[in-house]
This record gives sequence, C-alpha cells and structure tokens, in this order.
Amino acid sequence: MIVEKIFNKWILVFLFLIPVLGFIFEEPYYITLTTKVVILGIAGIGLNLALGYCGLISFGHAAFFGLGGYVTGILSFHALNSELIFSWPFVTSGSSEMLVIWPIVILSSAFLALIIGLLSLRTTGVYFIMITLAFAQMLYFFAISWPNYGGEDGLSIYMRNSLPMINTMDPLTFYFICLCWLLIVIFISAKLINSSFGMAFQAIKQNEERVKSVGIETFKVKLLVFVISGTITGLAGSLYTDLNRFISPSVLNWQMSGEIMVFVILGGIARLYGPLVGAAFFIVLEQTLGGYTENWQFWLGLILILEILYVRTGILSLFEKKLKYEK
Amino acid sequence: MKNKILNITNLSKSYGAFKVTDEITIDLHFDEIHALIGPNGAGKSTLIKQIVGSVKHDIGSIILDQEDITDLTDVERAKIGISRTFQVSSIIPQFSAIDNIVLSLLDKSSKTFQLFKSVRNNKELYTNAKKILKEIELLEKCDISASDLSHGDRRKLEVGLALAMDPKVFLFDEPMAGLDESGTNMMINLFKKIKSNSPILLIEHDMDAVFALADRVSVINYGKIVATGTVDEIRRNELVRDVYLGYEI
Repeated sequence: MIVEKIFNKWILVFLFLIPVLGFIFEEPYYITLTTKVVILGIAGIGLNLALGYCGLISFGHAAFFGLGGYVTGILSFHALNSELIFSWPFVTSGSSEMLVIWPIVILSSAFLALIIGLLSLRTTGVYFIMITLAFAQMLYFFAISWPNYGGEDGLSIYMRNSLPMINTMDPLTFYFICLCWLLIVIFISAKLINSSFGMAFQAIKQNEERVKSVGIETFKVKLLVFVISGTITGLAGSLYTDLNRFISPSVLNWQMSGEIMVFVILGGIARLYGPLVGAAFFIVLEQTLGGYTENWQFWLGLILILEILYVRTGILSLFEKKLKYEK
Repeated sequence: MKNKILNITNLSKSYGAFKVTDEITIDLHFDEIHALIGPNGAGKSTLIKQIVGSVKHDIGSIILDQEDITDLTDVERAKIGISRTFQVSSIIPQFSAIDNIVLSLLDKSSKTFQLFKSVRNNKELYTNAKKILKEIELLEKCDISASDLSHGDRRKLEVGLALAMDPKVFLFDEPMAGLDESGTNMMINLFKKIKSNSPILLIEHDMDAVFALADRVSVINYGKIVATGTVDEIRRNELVRDVYLGYEI
C-alpha cells in the first residue's frame, strides 16, 4: 500500500499544479478540464462507497447526480427570474447562493437515496441493479417531459451560483471550490472506511450471511452506505451544473450511471483515489482520442476489456499487487 | 421449563412433499452440551438454520430463555443471544483473523454505527479480540488474512467468532470437522469450559468427541428425533445402532 499512498499524494500535487499552470499560461481550457475531472471524481468516490466497499452494484447513480444538478439549476433559474418555485403550501423562492443550494442538494439527494435504498435493498444481485436503473430512468423520462425546466433541451442558468466575497465566475476560483469539496469527500470517505461502520460494510461485501450471524443489521448498514453514497454523487451533480451553467436530462440517463461506474472500475474498485484516477483517465481519453474519431468509446471499451482481463482491480492496483483490507 | 434455556417444539420444514424436519421437539438445559447426531441428510443442519432463523419454519415454536423467538428474524435472534458456527467455514476472507473477531464484537459493544472513529484505535475491542484468539490458540496468527489460514485454523476462527458474541446459547455445526488431534482436544477442553456460561447444541460426526463432551445426545433420522438420552443410553439403543452408530461402538 505504501507505493499507492505515495502515488495518491502525487495525484493531489497534480490536481493543484495543472490548473495553476493553466492559469499562468492563460489556458483556461485546462482549468475547466481539471474541474470536470474533480467533479466526476467526487461522483465516482460516492459510487465507490456503495459499489466498491459494500458490494452494492448500483446502476442508477445518475439519479442522484441528475437530482443534484436539477435542484441547483431550478433554484438558480428561479432566483435569476425572480419567480417563486411554490406559492402553496408555503412560499418558496429560488436562490443563487451556493451556501443555500448545497444543503438543499445534500438533503434532497439523501432523501432520494433513502427512498430508492429502502425499496431496492430488499433485493440483491441483478434485481438490485435493475431496480436502481429503473429509478434513474423514471427520473430521466420525468425530466424530459417537464417543459417548465426545458424538457429535453435542458435548462441554462447563465450565471454561476455565488459564494460571499468570492468570484465564482473565475475558472480557477471555481476549480478550488470543487477541489475543497473533493478533499472533504476524500476525508469523510477515509474516515468511514476505517471506522467500525466501515468494517461492517466491507465485511458485508465479502460475506453478508456471516455479518448477519454476528448480530449486525446489514439492511441498516447498507441503507446508510447507500444514502451517503447517493448524497456525495448528488453534490457532484450540483457542482457539474455550476461548471457548465447548464443541466439537461442526459445526466439522468443510464449512460451517466455507466460512466460513473466506469470511473470506479478504471481507477480501481475499493480504492479511495481510484474513481478520481478513473475519471482523469476517462477525460484524457475523451479529449485525445475524441480528436481523431467520434467513436472513441470503442477504444475505451477495448481498454476496459484488457483491464478487467489483466489488471482486474484498476489502474491503481498497478501500484499494489494484492488488494487487502488495509492495516 | 425453568432449567431449559432453549425449547423447540414441533418444528417442521418441508420442501414440497419432502419433510426435512418433521415435528422436532428438542431442548437445551443450562450448563449442558446436547449433541445432535445422525446420518448425512437427516436434517441436522436444517434444524440449526431454523433455530437461527435463516430458514423459515412451517410450524412449531422456539423459546429462548422464556422468550418466544419464533417470529424473530435471523439478526434479531443473533442479537438476543443465539450464536452459531457454519457447517462450511464462513468467515470474512480478506480480513485478518483479529479483524474477524473484532467484527463479531461490534454489535455487543454497540460500535456498529460509529461512523468516524478509527476502529483500530479502539484498544478495548482489540484487547478483547486477542483474549478470544488466545482461547482458540490463534493469537500468533492474529494478523494473517483469514483466507490464508489453514482449514483447521478457519474452524477455530469460526468458534472464535461465536465466542466473541458472548451469547445465551451456542449452536455448533461440525466444529471439529477436519481438525487434527490437538485441534480436537483444544475444542473439547474449550467447550467443557464455556458450557457453564452458555450451553451448546452440538452437531458432530466425530463420535469420540461427542461421547467425551455430551451430557445428552439426540439422534435425528429422516427429519425426526428417534432417540434422546445420556451417552450410555444412546450407545445401548438398538434403533440408534441400526440407523447410525452401527454395532462396533
């Protein structure tokens, strides 16, 4: 694990250096690209808690990503138009303050994850995959058929949401806001993984029947992991809307769930920094191969096949051969 | 009833027309080891699964320490004091031996939902886990990944996981299968020591161990209890000799 830990530190150094270099050399494109890596990395870290550490193969995390995005977009849209969101049963107006939006995103993503988790965690295996997928697809078609917020065309918010005394429109400033969230999410995930709760959910992934037999309520443990996982991914969706100043139903589509899953698998399942590395690899591939061919996903597929056949536990496992419960 | 900690009445389970357990009535007294023997496929392990709640019964009742647990889930039964080992070793393979034991201590110490404190900094949990590992003679292997332990050591670890729960009763399903002589002797001595705190319902094919340990023996055949008695009574029982023991014992 030592080599991997050193590599993880280098990742953080690169995450600091690349946008700064982009700023110095006046290449804001690279700042935006790295911001995207960080945000998608957060989404992947969220999924990794459920999929990588607890064995919950959710194919519906786009639901949380999209919900976070739409909550941000809708609040901002109403704030900019000075329109109420609801006038009954209580008056609710929009907001373009990130400090208001983030708690609402966190609460709404957690609530959605609770509802989906309560229903889907009664099943296992392929049924769990299908139920999570079905929920995300329901939200996708709902967003498409909701003309108030752009329907299939999506919703533009024109102005990035704001923070007091900070110019969030500046790409480098917004990047560091996202980086702060990434560090917070990594810190929380690391704490969870090394706690007694983390021990329980990692054990569930390996042998749920045994965990039940020692008196641990595995349903509650899985539900809490799922809620935390969905909440983190929802937060990433919020940042993604602010990055693009646009939200559309495509982020609720099953393809988005698949992409988040690819970040986790590429970087390394059950590795803290794995999804971040996976997201970076994905974006680099998209930017380089995408310049040569529209069908760059063909090469992504080939790389995934080779990785699963020969590396198995992701890019980060190249720095540590055997995956074990960390001492 | 007062001297019984576990009382099972008319417990039955059928898969279609096949009755796996057929109106089984069996009890477990305080301070005793009650062995359950019988041929393969007789229904012993299914009975254990019904008692722990992982297999739903069709009819019958289970009373633990004067509390009706018939309708409780498997996790609820484990929480109120039923601890088991599995017929085939069931451990957490990527955890070290000591982490397996710590996992088993979590619920009792109400630590399962402790979200942010490092479990490895909890000295109390790890000290208690080491005491258990010492009892099962695995202390020197405490940091070895459970998947790398030998078959015999995994059987010991199974028993350690059950011990860590400090339950009201133990249900041991062939705990000595595949153990060498010293391992079997260690288990026999351990079971004799722990039975006064938590009585044991023991399924075992090693008849020497059963006769050395059991206060009472019940024999199950085709899902029915065909005899219950002391070791001597069972040894002399003609029916038991016919269906299971043979005539050389």
